[in-house]
Amino acid sequence: MKNHIRALRAERGWSQADLAERLEVSRQSINAIETGRYDPSLPLAFAISRLFGLPVEAIFLPDQETA
Amino acid sequence: MKSDTHEKRTGRAYLRELGVAFAIYAILLVASIRFGRPLEEGVLRTVVLLSPMIGFCLMLWAIARHLDRLDEYLRRNLLESFALAAALTAGLTFSYGFLETAGYPRLSMFAVWIVLAASTGLVTVVRALRQR
Repeated sequence: MKNHIRALRAERGWSQADLAERLEVSRQSINAIETGRYDPSLPLAFAISRLFGLPVEAIFLPDQETA
Repeated sequence: MKSDTHEKRTGRAYLRELGVAFAIYAILLVASIRFGRPLEEGVLRTVVLLSPMIGFCLMLWAIARHLDRLDEYLRRNLLESFALAAALTAGLTFSYGFLETAGYPRLSMFAVWIVLAASTGLVTVVRALRQR
């Protein structure tokens, strides 16, 4: 799943390590999410959404719309 | 921003708990060899010789606690590596069972643990290299 996390993080001047610390996860997790290798769980997706102050669907883009 | 990252925190706690468990295992292993082997056959000897498993179980507990502390991505990665290593171990030990029938020397069950440890190391390294 694609997402805008890298851009949102860059806007705030945060490194991957900064974001990881704010979300209490590893830097590897942030890297995997940003590069689309890992889709976060709903609780983590909502934590990301709260942190950036944006709805989940404004951050994560589904690969293709499903019914 | 704090330099005490998720990886460092979980890693430190894991090493501390695993270290204590391994120390208990090592002490019990030495004690069981020293005092258990000379004992006459019986329940007491069996119990003493099996006592290092207390330390081993503590190591398993440390690993379980480590899995619980990890974030979801690292936990998934580690569990996938364990699963692949277990499958590889099953394949290798099962194959060797056939080779024993073909005349290869019989090996101790301890060999399974060595194969599992080696498989886990191999799988972890290969997956880490593939993710670069």
